[in-house]
Amino acid sequence: MRRRSGGVARRLKGRAVPHYVWVGALLVGLMLVLHWVSRPTAEPGLVKVTTANALVPDLVGAVVKQVTLPHVLDDEESRWQKRVDYDLPWPEALSYADRAEARLGLLLPRVGTRFRVLLNGHEVAQVGWYAEADRTINTAWFPYLVNLPAGLLAERPEYNRLQVQVQGQLLERSGLWPLQIGDYDRLFVRHRLLDLWQVMGTWMMTVIALLMGVMSLMLWAALRERLFLLMAAASFAHMVRLWLSVVLEPPMSFELYFFLHRASFTLYVGFFCLLMEELFGLRVLIIRWLSYFLLVVGPLWMVWILYTQLYDFYRVWAGLLALVAATSLTIMSVQLVRHGQLKQDQFLVLLVALFTLLTGVRDFLVVQLNFPGEADIRWMSVGGLALMLTLGWVLLQRATASAREVHRLNDTLAENVARRESELRTAFEQLRLSEQQRAVEGERRRLMRDMHDGLGSQLVQTLNAVRSSNGRLETSVVESMIHHALDELRMTLDSLEPMDGDLPTILGTLRQRVAPALEAACIELRWQVQEVPPLHRLDARGVMHLFRCVQEVFANVVKHAQASRVTVRTWADGQRVYLAVEDDGVGLPPPEQRRQGRGLNNIHLRAEKLGAQVRFYPTWPGTGVEFSFPIQHPGVNPSSDWARL
Amino acid sequence: MVFTDNLHMLDIARIYLIEDDRTILHFLEETLKLRPHWRLVGHSDTFAHARVMAPLSNADVFLVDLGLPDGRGEDMLRTLAVTKPDAELLVFTVFGDESRLIHALQCGATGYVLKGCSSQELVDAIEQIREGGAPISPLLARMLLKQFRAPDPFGAPDASGSPVEWPELSDRESEVLKLVAQGYVNKEIAIRLGIGPATVSTHIKNLYKKLSVHTRVQVVRVAQERGLI
Repeated sequence: MRRRSGGVARRLKGRAVPHYVWVGALLVGLMLVLHWVSRPTAEPGLVKVTTANALVPDLVGAVVKQVTLPHVLDDEESRWQKRVDYDLPWPEALSYADRAEARLGLLLPRVGTRFRVLLNGHEVAQVGWYAEADRTINTAWFPYLVNLPAGLLAERPEYNRLQVQVQGQLLERSGLWPLQIGDYDRLFVRHRLLDLWQVMGTWMMTVIALLMGVMSLMLWAALRERLFLLMAAASFAHMVRLWLSVVLEPPMSFELYFFLHRASFTLYVGFFCLLMEELFGLRVLIIRWLSYFLLVVGPLWMVWILYTQLYDFYRVWAGLLALVAATSLTIMSVQLVRHGQLKQDQFLVLLVALFTLLTGVRDFLVVQLNFPGEADIRWMSVGGLALMLTLGWVLLQRATASAREVHRLNDTLAENVARRESELRTAFEQLRLSEQQRAVEGERRRLMRDMHDGLGSQLVQTLNAVRSSNGRLETSVVESMIHHALDELRMTLDSLEPMDGDLPTILGTLRQRVAPALEAACIELRWQVQEVPPLHRLDARGVMHLFRCVQEVFANVVKHAQASRVTVRTWADGQRVYLAVEDDGVGLPPPEQRRQGRGLNNIHLRAEKLGAQVRFYPTWPGTGVEFSFPIQHPGVNPSSDWARL
Repeated sequence: MVFTDNLHMLDIARIYLIEDDRTILHFLEETLKLRPHWRLVGHSDTFAHARVMAPLSNADVFLVDLGLPDGRGEDMLRTLAVTKPDAELLVFTVFGDESRLIHALQCGATGYVLKGCSSQELVDAIEQIREGGAPISPLLARMLLKQFRAPDPFGAPDASGSPVEWPELSDRESEVLKLVAQGYVNKEIAIRLGIGPATVSTHIKNLYKKLSVHTRVQVVRVAQERGLI
């Protein structure tokens, strides 16, 4: 119920503004900002150098040739691939009257993999130039700002000789990219921007990817969903790729560095495709196979590139990656649209993926194919960040969805339990009612029997006496008979009072009934009753049995015992409660002379029903009757427990 | 003078009967022959009649039947408890309907007489109560003990919503009640506790008053709220 209403709310909200609309708007805005930031500009005081005279110094009969920047050594013949010296022509626009006043600098957005800068034959900057050859150094990831000291400048600008010397590393696209010469302060600002964009940005992305990977892994450990494992794998691959793109000197051999750097990107793309497929729940086999192809063949391909030392093979592979990614995205979009299952979240992911793809294509066009635009500012970084954040959001949705599902299940469970509980309660209630009915029915029968045997027979006796007397019956006799009948009725009613098995109170109530008869017979009643534990067998029925028993005993005392005193006592030990009635009369006759009257038999019979033992004994003089009741501890009676439920 | 007046007052009982059963009226008239100086000063056979007439009479003993045809005897008791605070209110009850009896006591009854008693028993009961005594049975005693021990004897706050203050039993009262509940009669209790038999009766009567204090207070409060007094 809650879930449905939540869905409705979301749909209503979604109808107002679907999230992909504003995210799309955001992305478009971002693209415009990127475009504005990286538009080709000509800043005053700065000169962009796009040509240079290159030569291979160690070669006998060195050839000097003019090259256009970027100059990539992998594209040259093998003799160019080790070391190249570039002579930069001093731009005519960059003149100064007094060299002491000139504060000039040189900005190298991309140069490597090792380099040094010479001004008029003096070295003014170097990175990794003198390091051992077996160390893996790659300066190409970082922009460098070189100060051109005023003291080394020539008196006249056109006499200045500016050299950038480069040591190359095959497969790393070593070489020299277009650079800027000019006012140092302006270059400083520019350098700060590039550094922020390329270095800081990449570090931040690395940390985010690491965080995403760890979180996905933890989510996977908790939820065991394949999606999170794929996300973790993609994130870790991405992290490795980013990290290796931002260290100057990775602590490993070049071959391993190259392999890890390139293979991690392949794995990232492969896992990413699988992730998308899993996310959309499409079960498209071709995407899976393509992804598996990337995951398996990619690393092997890198080994092959290392073996052949041909960068073109990497270009082919990069094209393949882009193709696979684009194909997968296209297939998924088509499938989703065709099945009409495109949910808002999926649409959002597709949108962002498309944005990322576009940034990649833009970078490819500008950097590799010299389309207009600032090549130093890569869009792909922003695209990758957007994609990662979106995936993080999706991940969060997934995780909270399962939490929501748990809540829903909990609710359902609670509902079920409540329903069952109420069913159980109803059943118990019915059971209790029927139990009650049964008890009421039993009680009704007992009352009827009592009325019939006691009051009924007394009234019948009275009626018969009146009829057979022919009007000669004395009023006092009739009155006494009716009194007797009333006593019977009172006793029955008394037995119905709630006395909770309290023996003294029951006896006290009985005392009120029998006291007048004893008084009339001039028998003294000694009351030695004391508090005893309650007896659960003394319910209404039990009370009636006890009444009859004690009544019978007193009747015997009055009729036969010729006693002057009768004592009633109660006491208890740990196990039993005792009730004794003793007289000081003539005592019981010996057993053989005893009339097998109904009286004693009745006492035994009723005592049995009470669960009590009866003992008759002589008291010299006189007779005693002792009833002993077992103490039933609360909770022993199963039926009462049942009723309490 | 005052002293003799009091004696005189004690001697002459002015009785008011609220009872729809004519045979009880006859029975009462027969009984009064045993005490010629007692007077039957009024008789109502409906609740409506009694409600108007009874408070206006100068009777000092009211005999009230709980089962009136047009109203509850308990409501009659409540009214009389407030308008006639010094009168004795005796309830006619069938044998041992103790549960209803307790309620009647809470409503202000000061004693009870069993229906079907003899004339002598009725005279004894009236004299006993006028002398400061009170009838009681073991079962009633037991129920009272339970009532006084219960944390909230009425099970609910009173009409004004304030919690009910249940008066506490004194140790002596509690002892008396316990012994009554165990079946001992007043004489035996007096011997056991070393007090006079009349004192035992006084304790019981005080108990009844404690029982009805709450009701009296409540009735007065409600009446004040309604602007009746």
